[in-house]
Amino acid sequence: MGGAERNARKRRQNQGAGTRPAAKNPVVAARKAGGDRNKVIIGVLVVLVIAAAVIGGVIYTNSKKDATAGSAIKVATVGFDVPVKRDGATVLVGKDSAKVTVDVYEDFLCPVCGDFEKTYGQEIEDKLTAGTVKVRYHIVNLLNTRSDPAGYSTDSANAALLAADEGKFLPFHKSLFGDQPEEGARGWTKDQLIDLGKAVGLSSQTFADGVRAGKYDAEVSAAYQQIKSTDYLQQDFGNGQKGFGTPTVAVDNKVVDTSNKGWLANLVGNSQG
Amino acid sequence: MTKGTVLDVVGTLSRLGLAAVWLVSGGLKVADPNQTFIAVQAYDVLPGGVVSVVAAAMPFLELALGLLLLVGLGTRLTAVLSGLVLLAFIAAVAQSWARGLSIDCGCFGGGGPVAQGDTRYPEEIARDIGFLALAVWLMVRPRTRFSLDGRLAGRVEEPVRTS
Repeated sequence: MGGAERNARKRRQNQGAGTRPAAKNPVVAARKAGGDRNKVIIGVLVVLVIAAAVIGGVIYTNSKKDATAGSAIKVATVGFDVPVKRDGATVLVGKDSAKVTVDVYEDFLCPVCGDFEKTYGQEIEDKLTAGTVKVRYHIVNLLNTRSDPAGYSTDSANAALLAADEGKFLPFHKSLFGDQPEEGARGWTKDQLIDLGKAVGLSSQTFADGVRAGKYDAEVSAAYQQIKSTDYLQQDFGNGQKGFGTPTVAVDNKVVDTSNKGWLANLVGNSQG
Repeated sequence: MTKGTVLDVVGTLSRLGLAAVWLVSGGLKVADPNQTFIAVQAYDVLPGGVVSVVAAAMPFLELALGLLLLVGLGTRLTAVLSGLVLLAFIAAVAQSWARGLSIDCGCFGGGGPVAQGDTRYPEEIARDIGFLALAVWLMVRPRTRFSLDGRLAGRVEEPVRTS
């Protein structure tokens, strides 16, 4: 709309109010004052509606996200016993007789790792029990900033390593993937991790203190930095993008394609044949 | 149909259109706060604690703007605020593009990192500019039909003539 038309309309309005200029017409002046007051009221209403929505929204969202605060991590049990040995930020699980050692790189917040555990967790347990496979778990904190607040990846990795020190890595690991927080969610707190420890038999003060103090945090971060730049662990994500991602499975310094459902059986078969 | 009537109708459609955009985009974000957090974080602009607050507040800001436009209360002011929010969104997408990040804007839910070939920055910016055009119309000419503004001003609404 052009300014000319607006001016024309104003002229018409003025003419309608009589021959006198608008400002001197008491009716028009009163209407204008009323209009200004209305504008202020409307402006205040708009600000109030927005402020109420934003403040209420932040409170609502935070309480919704805090809903996991009071709950306990569901405990998953492991019905067998195999040697567990922590070495730095890795945990080696399985009987000494096993000829194949599988390196598994996981982050407790990574949803694809959760899927990997759902799909192959049972098969891996079977192989561990049978003593055909050992698994070396590399728990990384790749997604450390992806929880709200940040830090769940590191906290959970540290707690799992402490659990490994007392031989309870497998149930701890299985529970954390079984009841996994979503990316962007709160993540489990240190206290919740300590309670999970208690539930799987880690009642020592060393475990609780270690979780609170972040005993292995630095080791987890250092190990991840090294893994990230390890050549044979780089994968092609397509579109010319290469990098390290979780989960990654490797055997003898070579990445294994786990989209092939028979990957684990093939590994065992190859070593036996 | 007079020229004023046509302009009123265009304004009304702009107002309701922009209202629908805000209500849908806000609603989708409110429905999945964890994803919204990931989407805001992916822009890699704000520090962690601020990401959390922005991700919690923004969907409700969008809903409030949508509601105000739907009922037509403070149309000009709401259009100005909508324009500012849209400019911020355009700036956020543009900086991701310029820095070579690979993210989805998360404009209507979703969001977060994507594969390098799956970014759609030009489309996302073009879409936001389209929405911005609606907001600019309402800033320049906030007069629309079926609005609370009209009622509060005591304006007699002319019947829509179709000639």
